Amino acid sequence: MTDSASTPTALIRARGLTKVFGERTAVAGIDFEVRDGEFFGFLGPNGAGKTTTMRMIAGVSPRTSGTLEIFGQDPDLQGSVIRGLIGVVHQQETLDMELTVRENLLVFGRFFGIDRASIATRADELLELFQLSDRAKDQVEPLSGGMKRRLSIARSLIASPRILMLDEPTTGLDPQARHLLWDALQRLKRGGTTIVLTTHYMDEAEQLCDRLVVMDQAKIVAEGSPRQLIVEHASREVLELRFPNGTESIDAKVLEGIGDRYERLAERVIIGCENGEAAHARALEHGLSPESWLVRRSSLEDVFLRLTGRSLDE
Amino acid sequence: MTVASSVAPNRTRSRLAAIREAAPHPTRWRHVVGYMIAVYRREWQGSVFSGFIEPLVVLAGLGIGLGVLVGDKAAEITGGVSYVAYIAPALMVSSAMNLATSEAAWPILARVAWVRIYHAIIATPLNAADVMVGAITFILGKVAFAATFFAGVLLVTGIATSPTGALGMIAVSVLTAFAFGAPMAAFSVTQKSDQGFAFIFRLIITPLAFFSGTYFPIENLPFAAQVLSWCTPLAHGVALSRALALGAPVTNIWLHVVALLVWGAVGTVAAIYLFRKRMLK
Repeated sequence: MTDSASTPTALIRARGLTKVFGERTAVAGIDFEVRDGEFFGFLGPNGAGKTTTMRMIAGVSPRTSGTLEIFGQDPDLQGSVIRGLIGVVHQQETLDMELTVRENLLVFGRFFGIDRASIATRADELLELFQLSDRAKDQVEPLSGGMKRRLSIARSLIASPRILMLDEPTTGLDPQARHLLWDALQRLKRGGTTIVLTTHYMDEAEQLCDRLVVMDQAKIVAEGSPRQLIVEHASREVLELRFPNGTESIDAKVLEGIGDRYERLAERVIIGCENGEAAHARALEHGLSPESWLVRRSSLEDVFLRLTGRSLDE
Repeated sequence: MTVASSVAPNRTRSRLAAIREAAPHPTRWRHVVGYMIAVYRREWQGSVFSGFIEPLVVLAGLGIGLGVLVGDKAAEITGGVSYVAYIAPALMVSSAMNLATSEAAWPILARVAWVRIYHAIIATPLNAADVMVGAITFILGKVAFAATFFAGVLLVTGIATSPTGALGMIAVSVLTAFAFGAPMAAFSVTQKSDQGFAFIFRLIITPLAFFSGTYFPIENLPFAAQVLSWCTPLAHGVALSRALALGAPVTNIWLHVVALLVWGAVGTVAAIYLFRKRMLK
């Protein structure tokens, strides 16, 4: 029902999408759909298959099997047309260091077959939008990491793409630069651009994405809005108990009795529950003596932990 | 039966579409040339010496210095002309070889592996083949530019005997650049660092200048070395360029031209194939 209703506006549709490198399966038969105008995320640890999936969508990695349609077209057969409608921001910078900031934009626009006058206008708009106007005539090399990333995004927008794809856009940026970038992406989304991003940052996915899939070991393990995922796969609150001397010796029976579910990590026990304070009281009654504890609302991190038994940074 | 007949044309169509996706576009590669010109406008001062002045310095040094040493024997080697006039058209093509080979080395490797802008370009409507065709074309343009300057000097000094001959020499330099630049591009796109380049220059490019008839006739070499020499592109470029400079009739002109074209064409196809292999994983 929902599937057929969403079909007409799906810009990207994958069924059984698979990519195998020799012995290693990087993407193992995943299904997903990205709808017009949404902010869609691939969340998962490094090596989960997110970047490979992005590369297949961008038409620079032929799939091993499965179907993939972007704007209803097969990227293996209509790659050039599809790439003309997509803006791609790579995880590592791919800017030309010998050209100036503005020249990087001008040169890139030509690859999309846009005339010089239109590119120049668009380039100046983008420099303004990404707060790079005062650096327009500077070389790229000395720019800060945040500025280079903003320039990369500006460059990917030179042909006003319908879909913007970003691979780990804020990795390596300081918190201030991250927030600047998030604001810029949200403005773009409001302007109607469909955005697809990969990230291994929970807060990023939670802040930005309308809908996301959680990937782990080449598969999609969950799908939904951040809120839905938390409601479905995690409890309302989380109690974290810290045991610096390790958690192996704690009796599983005891942990089961504290909340709805628990995850045992090396030095922490994470307990999903309705009421964290009450769960903490129960833990003390059961004779546990954690060095410290905290209660927080459940996040995507807990969803991931629940689904995979591992935390994202492990 | 009905299924087979309806599927077959579809399959043919997708095969054609897949080939079109991999082949160079008729015109899109020109934007890669445009990009390289934009880069060149920023750094041309640095390349003026290596591309323009250096070959002339070598010519002056070797032509005059060696010329004195060779002295009266020059006529035996050269068939009557001065030693400078003998080596000048050959140095013109060997400097085209040097320029094309180094332009197909670092600038290409950098864009594949270091600044990685090629990764961004193949994410636009351009494909890997467009990038290689554009990159090689730019190299030929740069060599044509340097060769025009060199030919002008030879014309003014009377070493090149006719303007038509000088134009022909420029064309030969570009052909030679194609024969070296394209295979070198194919090599560069497979490299992870520039260590392999030293090997190419020391073991192939530098020795070639000595065994391709640049400084003395190939006929002075042992027979086996002569055969080997004709298997490489430089000897063909030297033979053409020298004949054009001296206004002598060119023997086997098409053989030389075809040899250079084959080297360039095979190199281009290899460059496209290897570049795709590296980029489209």
